[in-house]
Amino acid sequence: MPKHPSSGKYAIVGLGVIAGNQPDKSERMIAAEAARLAIEDAGLTRKDITGAIDLRRSGGGGDRASYSDAFTRVLGLSNNYYYINGRGGALAGLGMATAMSFIDRGISDYVCLMGAVTDWSQAQESKKKGYRGMAHAEKRGYWGKFVGDSTAVSHHSWMAARHMAVYGTTSRQLGAISVAQRQWAQMNPEARMYGRPITIEDHQNSPLLAEPYHMLDMSLVSDGAVAFILTSAERAKDLKSKPAYVMGQGFGEVSSTVWWDKKNFTHMAVEPAKKQAFGQAGIELKDIDCVQFYDCFTAEVLFQIEDYGFCKKGEGGAFVEAGNMAPGGTIPINTSGGLLSCYHLGDLTGLAESVRQIRGDAGQRQVKDCELVMTTGHGGELVSPGMCSIHTCTILGANP
Amino acid sequence: MSESNVITVTAEWKKPRPSIDHDNEAFFDGLKQHKFLIWKCKTCGAAYWPKAYCQHHDNEPFAANMDWAEAKGTGKIYAFNKHHTAFSPGFKDEIPYWYALVELDEGPLVSSTLVGDKRPKDIYDIGQKVEVVYEDHPNEGFTIPKFRIIG
Ligand SMILES: [Zn+2]
Repeated sequence: MPKHPSSGKYAIVGLGVIAGNQPDKSERMIAAEAARLAIEDAGLTRKDITGAIDLRRSGGGGDRASYSDAFTRVLGLSNNYYYINGRGGALAGLGMATAMSFIDRGISDYVCLMGAVTDWSQAQESKKKGYRGMAHAEKRGYWGKFVGDSTAVSHHSWMAARHMAVYGTTSRQLGAISVAQRQWAQMNPEARMYGRPITIEDHQNSPLLAEPYHMLDMSLVSDGAVAFILTSAERAKDLKSKPAYVMGQGFGEVSSTVWWDKKNFTHMAVEPAKKQAFGQAGIELKDIDCVQFYDCFTAEVLFQIEDYGFCKKGEGGAFVEAGNMAPGGTIPINTSGGLLSCYHLGDLTGLAESVRQIRGDAGQRQVKDCELVMTTGHGGELVSPGMCSIHTCTILGANP
Repeated sequence: MSESNVITVTAEWKKPRPSIDHDNEAFFDGLKQHKFLIWKCKTCGAAYWPKAYCQHHDNEPFAANMDWAEAKGTGKIYAFNKHHTAFSPGFKDEIPYWYALVELDEGPLVSSTLVGDKRPKDIYDIGQKVEVVYEDHPNEGFTIPKFRIIG
């Protein structure tokens, strides 16, 4: 039987092992040290590592599936993506399968895969307090809860605050984003806020929860589900629905450079993600017909408008105030109503809308001749003192 | 360090407890001694908070070329917000409270709530000089750093 084209295309080139009980060390330091040793073993440097996957046993109690402030930031890797991959004890195999796709598409030359546990040490400690087994699992390394960093808006509102202080952006300008997305939602019967239009005065009069954020700067709390099927372009041709082809994908992490430059309160990690995604697709920003920006809060939309280059840094406020993202504007942004007005299913809210726009199924809000749509995602563990790190960019197209 | 930079609170703690682990234990021990520690490179002097391997050169195993050192405990306001709502019940007696991001004189950003008489006049009013105030909780066995505007 002939070899599969992927056979022999990948290799493991470095290994780092920390063996034995580590009672006086944190999991993230053991993780960082194992990664450092693997990089050294490969004869590489931290700058060569452009992707990182954390192989982590999920399940069990509390937040054991994720700790904040990942080893990638501690060690200072130049990774454009970091996330957790695994299912029970099936870790390395799944992680490698994931990593290969990044290598295949030229997103990373070197991916660092790492798994670390300190369950034995932690169980010894919690046993002294009367707990048994895995009772120690909790959110580790989270800085601010005890001083009032109670929820996402407690630190995300710094993004709006810093942008306002540095660039003179106003609350009314942030409100223009909220109003524009609500206008789009009036053309989407699935949107939670369908039939409930708002004005800028409604935004200004909505309760100030964590100033500068009003209630109407914040995304919805939702129920729901989105699923999608991915296959090869070859197979897609014979199926009954119009395919939305994956034209390009890119990833960036704030912890790579933006965090060290203290720019994460005015910028997102768009630069590497945009370069990768648009490079793969062979397109420019002006080719994009419609955008679904991740919009957990209004300022995130503003940052991305600037970071992608729809306008200059600091000019996003004037851009949205002039109606550029609203129905009838220069670039349709968050046409379903987004997380602010449709529903909050992470970046699946935007992805579902992008597929509909490509298929021409978006009803009243359908963007004319829509051939290229960009969807972004944002998230990650909270790194002290407050940031979500990852930015993802996916470009879907009507023509392969 | 004047006495006014220390507040002692004996009331029962009803908020989430600090998440103290191997990587920040020394930092929290320092607070109890009314010292604000930052993580410094012994090779090049670069300052980090929270803990990190030095970004400027190769490191020794487990970042053994780094250590905690006392910071000046001063900095300036980088950004802040004003909580009008208590998202966690332990804070309901404190609202409104100002939760600030402070740029230490040594470089790193640290966040905590503002105490003392002075507050920024509006969201555009940043850059004020601040100093750390140590809030001792002897019954709980920890000290919390807060910031006060001094200029
Ligand atoms: Zn150094």
